Amino acid sequence: MSHKEAQKAQKAQKRTVSEEELVAVMEREREELEQTWARPTGLRGWFTDTDHKAIALRYIKTAFVFFILGGIEAALMRIQLARPNNHFLSPDQYNQIFTVHGTTMMFLFAVPIMTAMGIYLVPLMVGARDVAFPRLNLFGYFIYLIGGIFLYTGFVLNTGPDAGWFAYVPLSGPAFSPGKRVDIWAQMITFTEISALVGAIVVIGTAFKMRAPGLSINRWSLFVWAQVVTSFMIIFAMPAVMLASGFLASDRLIDTHFFNPAEGGDAILYQHLFWFFGHPEVYIIFIPALGFISPIIITFARRKIFGYTALVLSLISTGFIGFGLWVHHMFATPIPQMGESFFTAASMMIAIPSGVQIFCWIATLWGSKLNIKTPLLFVLGFFAIFILGGLTGVMLASVPLDLQIHDTFFVVAHLHYVLIGGSVFPLFGAFYYWFPKWTGRMLSESAGRWNFWLMFIGFNLVFFPMHKLGLNGMPRRVYTYLPETGWGTLNLIASMGAFILAIGVLVFVINVVWARRAGVVAGDNPWAADTLEWTTTSPPPNYNFHNVPVVQGRYPIWQATADAPVVRGLSTTKRETLVSSVMDAQPELKFEIPGPSIWPVLVAVAAAVALIPGIFTPWAFLVGAILTGTVLTCWFFGDPNYKNKTARETGERSEPVPAARELQPKEI
Amino acid sequence: MSTRAVIDVSELPHHEFDTYDPVWWGNNLLLAIETSMFMILIATYFYLRQNFPLWPPPVAMLTATLDPLPQLSYGTLNTILLVLSCGPMILTDISARRGNRGVSQVGLVIAIACGLGACVLRGFEFSAMYFRWDSNAYGSVVWFMLGMHMMHLMILTTEAILLCVWIFTREYDMKHRVDIVTVAVYWYWVVGIWLVLYGIIYFTPRLG
Repeated sequence: MSHKEAQKAQKAQKRTVSEEELVAVMEREREELEQTWARPTGLRGWFTDTDHKAIALRYIKTAFVFFILGGIEAALMRIQLARPNNHFLSPDQYNQIFTVHGTTMMFLFAVPIMTAMGIYLVPLMVGARDVAFPRLNLFGYFIYLIGGIFLYTGFVLNTGPDAGWFAYVPLSGPAFSPGKRVDIWAQMITFTEISALVGAIVVIGTAFKMRAPGLSINRWSLFVWAQVVTSFMIIFAMPAVMLASGFLASDRLIDTHFFNPAEGGDAILYQHLFWFFGHPEVYIIFIPALGFISPIIITFARRKIFGYTALVLSLISTGFIGFGLWVHHMFATPIPQMGESFFTAASMMIAIPSGVQIFCWIATLWGSKLNIKTPLLFVLGFFAIFILGGLTGVMLASVPLDLQIHDTFFVVAHLHYVLIGGSVFPLFGAFYYWFPKWTGRMLSESAGRWNFWLMFIGFNLVFFPMHKLGLNGMPRRVYTYLPETGWGTLNLIASMGAFILAIGVLVFVINVVWARRAGVVAGDNPWAADTLEWTTTSPPPNYNFHNVPVVQGRYPIWQATADAPVVRGLSTTKRETLVSSVMDAQPELKFEIPGPSIWPVLVAVAAAVALIPGIFTPWAFLVGAILTGTVLTCWFFGDPNYKNKTARETGERSEPVPAARELQPKEI
Repeated sequence: MSTRAVIDVSELPHHEFDTYDPVWWGNNLLLAIETSMFMILIATYFYLRQNFPLWPPPVAMLTATLDPLPQLSYGTLNTILLVLSCGPMILTDISARRGNRGVSQVGLVIAIACGLGACVLRGFEFSAMYFRWDSNAYGSVVWFMLGMHMMHLMILTTEAILLCVWIFTREYDMKHRVDIVTVAVYWYWVVGIWLVLYGIIYFTPRLG
């Protein structure tokens, strides 16, 4: 030790507070933080609580209920198709059920639950106290909930949409679908789409601006990358379906002619608009799942990921290429051959980034001392199923093959292999992985294994025979078939598989209920994982971190030194969080984020006043718009405490912030 | 006895303009959504055009056939007004950064007047079309474009009015100065996107 260093150390020691004093200070701060970040409870809390963890868990629970409902619908379809000439469901019921099944799984389950995972985990992974826009976040949840209830209210009243989850015109147009069924579908799209867009903004805002010092963009967890790429895809894809469903609704309600060929409209335009959203949608569901896989593999392979940069670039390029594929859903329409070739090439090209990722993961797993726990089991299951689904995807990208098996069960098999294999399996892995963080208790490992194997075997029993059924010519969306077709046996196998799959999900539900009461207490970091969320308690306190951490590497926990600096100087009596620069996470602002509020739910209700009666009369939009404007005005002016806010810095200097200069760690 | 290094952030400000503030990001992300919406809407416009031998389709009158190109008068007037409105908005923008309350107030009031004027002119623009939304697909898409933009005009003007009321009746604090700068971004965007729409709606049919 040099003389200078010794002097410095001496000085530091002099200024060091005693252990007891430190404990007392920390304890006082903790109490203040608890008070400042206290969450409203009971009914009031349900409507006003803006805590991102509470909102995310509510999203997850709600989406899971919709998953169960969608699953029940699937089971009903499988009962109906179990044998030829079955009359368990009527054709009309069957149409409603497959439409609501698809709509539920895509819009009410998959997208919201993926966003919800981001809303829970992104702030924790970047070291923030809450998301960037907590009240917007709360609004997003309520608008989603209202949309979901709206769809199911229609369904229960025998007004469920029945034109498929894509609602192609002309079938869904005013001429062939009178009544309100399709209108409910179109408006439900508006609800869920607003919620998805809001979620995307919340996630990007948080990941970009709310990061802990040191967490520069090249140190983001791959989970955060996946969430951000997905959010940008939502931003560019969702407007297309907003226009598609908006045009459809206005064709049906106020006699516009977007899709009416008699007046110059175009039915194929609908397919373009729908699939310009619909194909990226697949990646909006799939990319977050890729984000679950990387942390799980890192943790259970117990080593750094192979090819971080390659993985990030793969995620981003998947995001871009995902927008160049939509026409491969439309090969059976009159598309110029040149166009078909382009989209075939693009569809095959997207296999490249997917392949790169899979090889990176295999390279990470290879030769490592695997710790095979349920989350990793689900990831390994993902490999098997998703690769099969990816292979049939490359097959379907070829135009002649696609024309042959278009609208057959082969496509049903393909899309379930991709979506369940690519998304639901990693999602269940993620449930097992992060459940301890959410609840403080572990899910049972042995039940987890039962859960996995039942789902894995059940899934393959349901969907593998469908490949063969499709090749044999069984069309999709038929409510029954004749015995002479010879499709009976394979359909029966598929239906039996459905029940094994259902039992697998049931095991999960039981596991959750049991673990909530009697699961092993988890501790902060039960898996010895590397990302920031594991540094705080399980479940995390309302303010997430007592001291905002300082990140020292890509694997914050594994690379943290014993004397890792911490951030001091944020108020403990106000809801302050750190805002930092986008690339290097240099601290820029002490930003006070808003707390609990009743306004978000009121805005959601006001919007619903426009949208729900809006399927009957266009005047509802006027009333709803005025109401929404009024509520927003009250929100803007209505905060009685505005004078106590730290926001008041009247007459402050206007030169650039000094935050641009690096804030050096200094000693206390 | 242990020492631990700290990063002391107690001196950081609470609000700062542009990329520093999360609100700026939220606003710009919303504008990204709306930009992609307008781009897809424009694609729809040109897609539907393929179905028409003449665009806009001719209107059969009792005695003759009329070539109903959209009338330029109101649209052009509105475009001029919107471009001019950027003047007071830029003034408001700069004064908010400098903390000059009076200029912000004056600028906002003039900008709001322009915004309201543009909404009224938009009403005339609708009536200057030879088609209603339910006449044919041309009418549907043009009304939709004008309507979506008008919705933004109205939201924008309302936002400006609310902020204006705030800085007249309450405090001209940093938080709301950041808001003003953010609304200015929205203002430029609404005007900019209109220039694109104006060119497409009024001039691409004239190019034949």
